[in-house]
Formats: sequence, structure tokens, C-alpha cells
Amino acid sequence: MTGNASSAEASATVGALDELRRAQPNLRLLTAAADLEHYGRDWTRRWTPAPLAIALPATIAEVQAIARWANVQGIAIVPSGGRTGLSGGAVAASGELVVSFERMNRVLDFNPVDRTLTVQPGIALEAVHKAAAEYGLIYPVDFAARGSCSIGGNISTNAGGIRVIRYGNTREWIAGLKLVTANGDLLELNRGLIKNSSGYDLRQLVIGAEGTLGLVVEATLRLTDPPPASQVMLFAVPEMSALMRVFAACRKRLNLSAFEFFTDRALHHVLAHGAQKPFDEISPYYVVTEFDAADEAQQQAALEVFEQCLNDGFVNDGVLSQSDAQAAALWRLREGITESLAPYKPYKNDISVRISAVPDFLDEMSSLLTREYPQFDVVWFGHIGDGNLHINVLKPAELADADFVAQCERVTKLLSEVLARHGGSISAEHGIGLVKKPYLAGTRSPAEIELMRGVRRVFDPHGLMNPGKLFD
Amino acid sequence: MKILVGYKRVVDYNVRIQVKPDGSGVVTEGVKLSANPFDDIALEEALRLREKGIASEVVVATIAPADAQAHLRNGLAMGANRAIHVVTGDAVQPLTAARVFLKLIEKEQPQIVILGKQAIDDDCNQTGQMLAALWDRPQATFASKVEVSGNAAKVTREVDAGLETIEVDLPAVITTDLRLNEPRFIKLPDIMKAKSKPLETLQLADLGVASGDTLKTTNYAPPAKRSKGVMVKDAAELVAALKTKGLL
Ligand SMILES: Cc1cc2nc3c(=O)[nH]c(=O)nc-3n(C[C@H](O)[C@H](O)[C@H](O)COP(=O)(O)OP(=O)(O)OC[C@H]3O[C@@H](n4cnc5c(N)ncnc54)[C@H](O)[C@@H]3O)c2cc1C
Ligand SMILES: Cc1cc2nc3c(=O)[nH]c(=O)nc-3n(C[C@H](O)[C@H](O)[C@H](O)COP(=O)(O)OP(=O)(O)OC[C@H]3O[C@@H](n4cnc5c(N)ncnc54)[C@H](O)[C@@H]3O)c2cc1C
Repeated sequence: MTGNASSAEASATVGALDELRRAQPNLRLLTAAADLEHYGRDWTRRWTPAPLAIALPATIAEVQAIARWANVQGIAIVPSGGRTGLSGGAVAASGELVVSFERMNRVLDFNPVDRTLTVQPGIALEAVHKAAAEYGLIYPVDFAARGSCSIGGNISTNAGGIRVIRYGNTREWIAGLKLVTANGDLLELNRGLIKNSSGYDLRQLVIGAEGTLGLVVEATLRLTDPPPASQVMLFAVPEMSALMRVFAACRKRLNLSAFEFFTDRALHHVLAHGAQKPFDEISPYYVVTEFDAADEAQQQAALEVFEQCLNDGFVNDGVLSQSDAQAAALWRLREGITESLAPYKPYKNDISVRISAVPDFLDEMSSLLTREYPQFDVVWFGHIGDGNLHINVLKPAELADADFVAQCERVTKLLSEVLARHGGSISAEHGIGLVKKPYLAGTRSPAEIELMRGVRRVFDPHGLMNPGKLFD
Repeated sequence: MKILVGYKRVVDYNVRIQVKPDGSGVVTEGVKLSANPFDDIALEEALRLREKGIASEVVVATIAPADAQAHLRNGLAMGANRAIHVVTGDAVQPLTAARVFLKLIEKEQPQIVILGKQAIDDDCNQTGQMLAALWDRPQATFASKVEVSGNAAKVTREVDAGLETIEVDLPAVITTDLRLNEPRFIKLPDIMKAKSKPLETLQLADLGVASGDTLKTTNYAPPAKRSKGVMVKDAAELVAALKTKGLL
């Protein structure tokens, strides 16, 4: 692009922004360099933020006005929640308008009969947990980013987290949502109905769409009863092949609400970050599991599971939480991993297979990773009870970002072939975003991708809703 | 050297306390009960002294209803050598608790008694001090560091002005503050071993302790709910709102 053309383009978009300011004098718009950088990226650090401006709407009407304006001006929109996303879905690196839902962060309604909570999309997941607790109920989707991630982002990635094994993904808990489409229309999808056999469930299409079908401006969340009292166990596991055996043993006797694992490398990094050391001796793998322990029979069952696993050689050692504070300390060993790795600019894989396929897949994957990454610190952890593994490759300080990513991309290509063979997915819960676009075809067939393109075109004929994300 | 540790069971720190509708107490049925956090710290400190070779035996004791055995087993699993369960169905106030501990001291002859500085159920912060007075031995309260050598303990205390270091002759009473240590996790193999450790049961009624329960609580009430904030549109509206409330 020549200098002339780009400056002409720049002044055209600046004119467009003035137009928006005139049409919506109350709309908060930010254009300072620091704001463009802050709102232009998520937890990925691979792209240089370069949005046109940041809009901070306070009402649905403002969001509709923004969409209409963008449609007329041909300006792309990047919906933005808490920007804790790990796939670059909320990255704005080419002159888009970022629509941040930060100011639309309130609880609108609680309905005790329906047991639903209606919220604005920018509300933090943790604020939803607190609001539900006020009514003696829970919203069960939960994970470490709870303090900063938003319900809008959770919906758009179909976020999973640590209790999927009992409660499923975000998808299961969305009773209804409101969507502003690319032309500024407001759709009310499913309206909180439990039963609705009236054709395509557009709500479900929007869940996991990563902002490509429109802007989620309101959501009605299903709540449920709090679980019985629980305890948390941490097991030290001597070998990879034992992980799913421990899972089987636990699942048979205990009512599990979580089953997570991490490697010794992961433990090393959380401990360096200040967590409390659980064992004196090192084991290659660890499991954190949470289970109902409301009475002595359930507590006794947990001890028996441990004893059996010990006798079978599936575990070396274990600890059991004696208070909720200790449960939190054990959880921290698992939940603190992502944060403890952030300084190393990790390259992340977030993959899944059916749980029955986990043992064979792990075998093949671990030999692939050992062979292909001899030079890097590779940290594994994840929601193994759901068949979901997170692989984090840490960047050596001396290696240039681009070199590092190129080396990891080469391995991800191989990994995606292994995944395809085992019927898995290249993105379990973080979304495709920008990061995993090249590998989508390993998980979805050409016909499926073509249909997805068609759906997207119907919702967004001019390609203005988070373009470049998910697929081109 | 023997160390006696107070190990009380309370409503878990993370539980949202609810007052019974009739105001007669707080709801404890179906609520998670755990060791008083300060007592976990007390036990951890005693275990560390034993691991350093300073103490040879750690005894945990609780005054609690009959169903508190599992709680004491946790103390044993954490590492105590023995446990003593003083059984009573009633809640016990600090003076009574101190008198019970004096009886246990007469029986066990410990060199150090470590208690939490307070229990998080009633937050009295009295038992350790009363016990030292009854026993007529030194007290080192709110400890954030304990060093034992020979017949004395050097204890760093958390006081309003900062830290204070004192030395007390043993035997003595020490009460723990939060920063003293971080209690260990309880290992599952140790939970299994704890089943066969000695747990002695005494009836409070048989100890010949005069009740010191002189306080009667007449009513419990939850704290007043914070009323919802009001959103004002601009500074003028804020000023007006403050004026109508007589705050400006
Ligand atoms: C420490 C840590 C732990 C994590 N653990 C987990 C985990 O266990 N499970 C899991 O699933 N994820 C996890 N994540 C990833 C991340 O938190 C989730 O993907 C989360 O759902 C993103 O929410 P957000 O509000 O930050 O979304 P953002 O990053 O802001 O956006 C994510 C996507 O949603 C779109 N979007 C956001 N809001 C809207 C809206 N209102 N309308 C339309 N589109 C919108 C964006 O355009 C983008 O494509 C973790 C992240 C961190 C940092
Ligand atoms: C006594 C009675 C009680 C009932 N109670 C209930 C109830 O409690 N809840 C409830 O939901 N329904 C109920 N129904 C309605 C009916 O049984 C359900 O709608 C059932 O799911 C229909 O199944 P079917 O195989 O008979 O479908 P059909 O009647 O044969 O077809 C239903 C629709 O599905 C399509 N279809 C069928 N097979 C396929 C396929 N393989 N691929 C693509 N499309 C296909 C058909 O084209 C048609 O549009 C009841 C019906 C009766 C007679």
C-alpha cells in the first residue's frame, strides 16, 4: 500500500469516527494510544494492537447505533469482554472499532421461579458467582480467570473450566441471550425458555461464535442449587499411563466435581510463583480432584480410593484438604499455572479428545512432543477428566518471538494430524481466534467449514463482525 | 519435652455465617466445620519443634461434643502423637476452657502449651492469658516466631506498635498469630495411620472443673445490610443528593 493511499484511508476512517461522535454524542469513545493498546489485545501477545478507536457503550441502543454506523461506513468491529482470551479472538490489529462491554456490567434481574439471572455481557464471571450466592444459588461455570473474564466472552468461547465434568460448558447454562447483528437489529434468542422446539436454535449458534455473528448484549443465565460440602485431594502419580486409571477409580466411587492434572514442570512454576509445596518428593504427574464429602461414608470412600490406587501403584502419595482454606491452597496449585507461565510468553495448545481416547492419544502425543521439542520447557496441565489438555511451550528468553512461534507452529501442524487421527479438537475451550485458524481444517471437515461460512455470511454479509477470526 | 496443643473445631472460615431465625445462635447444622485456623498454626509449630528435635511428644486436646473425634483424627493425621478429647455437649467459655487445660497440664506435665490467640467462632482472645494466670506461668501471646533453647523460649510477638521480642522461662503458654507459619497439608497415608494413634476420652463432668461460664448471650443478630448505592448522573445531582442528606 502506498503512503498516499493509506493516509487517504486514515482520514476517511477518522471522518467516519467524527460521524459516530456526532450521531451519538453520549457514546464514550477512546482514541489515546495507551487505550488503543490496552483494549486492542487479549492475553496473547503476538499481535501489535492497532484499532481505530474504542467504544464503551452503556446501553443496547448505543450498541445498535454502533453496528448501524459500522455497517454504513464499512468499518469492522471487534467485540471485547475481559480480554483474558487465549486465542487472539479479541485482538484488534487492523483499524477495527473495539466495542468493549466494560460499562455494561450489571445484574439486571433475578427470577426466583425460573431460577435465572439476567445480566449485561460485560459482567465478570466472579460477579455472577457472587450475585447467585446472594440468592442461595450458584452459576457453576468456573475457572481461574473468573475475576476478569466476562460473561459475553464466556458465551462467545463456550468457556469450559474446572467443573465441566459435573456441569458441562457455558452452553448448558445460557437460557437466553440478546444479540445485536451486523445491521443493528436486536434479536432475542430463546427468551429463557426451557422448551422451545420451533426451529433452529440460533442462541446455540451464537454460543462459541467468537463474536463473528454479532454482539451479545444481554444474557439470561440458568442457576442451580449449591453442591454438598466437598473436599479436594491431590495425588502424586508416578506415570502417565496411571492418570486415567486413577480417574476411573475415582469416578467409580466418588461423586466428582473436578478432575484435573498437571506435570512436575507445571508444579515447578507455580511453586516458584509462591504456592505452598504439597510433597517433599517429586512425581512426574499430579491430579487434583474435588468430590462431594458431605458425610463420613463419602469421606471414607475417598480414603479407600486412595488406598486402592496406592496398592495398585497408580499413586505414590496424596494429600486431602481439611478446610476450605486448604482446598483453596490445593486448587491454587492447578489454577495458578497459567498465570505463573505468563512471563515466559508461552505458546499454547488447548486440545481435546474423547475421554476414552485419552490414554492412546497421550502416548502418541508425548512421544511427538519429546521428539519435536527437545530444546524447550514444555508444561502440560488441564481438565483431563474432560479429555482436555493444555500444552504450554515456554519461550527461551534469547529466542526471537517470530522464530519461536514458527517452531511451535510446525509442531502444532503435526499435533493437529495426531488429533485428527484420534477424532479430537484443536480447540477445546479457548476458541480458534487468530491463533488456531491454520488448524481448523484438522478438526472440521471441508463441508462443515463451508456451512459455517454460509451461516456467517447470512448474519454478516459485509464481513464486519470480528473479521479474520475463526476462519477467513 | 512434651507440648500440649489446643485444637478447637469451629465453623469453617470460608462459610457464610447465618444467624438462626430465632436469634438463639448461628446455624451449624449442615455447615462445614474445620480446625480453628490459629490452632492449625499452633499444631504446626509444635510439630516443627518436634522435627527440630526440641520436643519429643505433641499432644492435641479439644473440648467438644462427642462427634468431634474425626476432628481430632485430623490433628493426629497432621502429626500429633496423641489426642485427648474432653467431651461436653455445651459450648464452653474461655475461663472454663482454661480450667480444663489446667487439669490437662496437671495430668500431662507439658513444658509448652500452644494455643491459638483466639478462636474464630467467638473471637474471645482470653483462654491463653487466663490459663497462664491459673497455672502461674509466663505467657507469650500473639507469637509470630518461636525459638526454644534450653529452658527458655524467645518469642517474637505481634503488637500494635510492630514486633516485640520477649524471652520466657519454661514451662509457659504461647498463643499463635497468623504469620507464625503455614500449616502443612495432611497426607492421605497419614490419615490412615492416624486411625491407630491413641485418642483418650475424658468427660468434662468427671474432671471436677468449676464452670466459669458466667456470660449469657441473649440474642444474635446479623449485621445490618448495606443499602444499595444510588447512581447519580452528574456532579450537580451528587451535590443535591448530599445536601438533602444534610451532608453538605
Ligand atoms: C488464567 C486464565 C485461565 C483460564 N482458564 C480457562 C478455562 O479453564 N477454561 C476456559 O474456557 N477458558 C479459560 N481461559 C480463557 C478465557 O478466560 C476464556 O476464553 C474467557 O471465556 C474469555 O472471556 P473474556 O471476557 O476475557 O473474553 P475476551 O478475551 O474479551 O473475548 C473472547 C472472544 O469473545 C468475543 N466476545 C467478547 N465479548 C463479546 C460479546 N459481548 N459479544 C460477542 N462477542 C464477544 C471476543 O471478540 C473474542 O472473540 C483462561 C484464561 C486465563 C487468563
Ligand atoms: C402419544 C404421544 C405422546 C407424545 N409425547 C411427547 C412428549 O412428551 N414430548 C415430545 O417432545 N413429543 C411427544 N410426542 C410427539 C412425537 O412423539 C415426537 O415429536 C417424536 O420426537 C417424533 O418422533 P418420530 O420418530 O415419530 O418422528 P416423525 O413424526 O416421523 O417425524 C418428526 C419430524 O422429524 C423428521 N425426521 C424424522 N426422522 C428423521 C431423520 N432421521 N432425519 C431427519 N429428520 C427426521 C420428520 O421429517 C419430521 O419433520 C408424542 C406423540 C404421541 C403420539
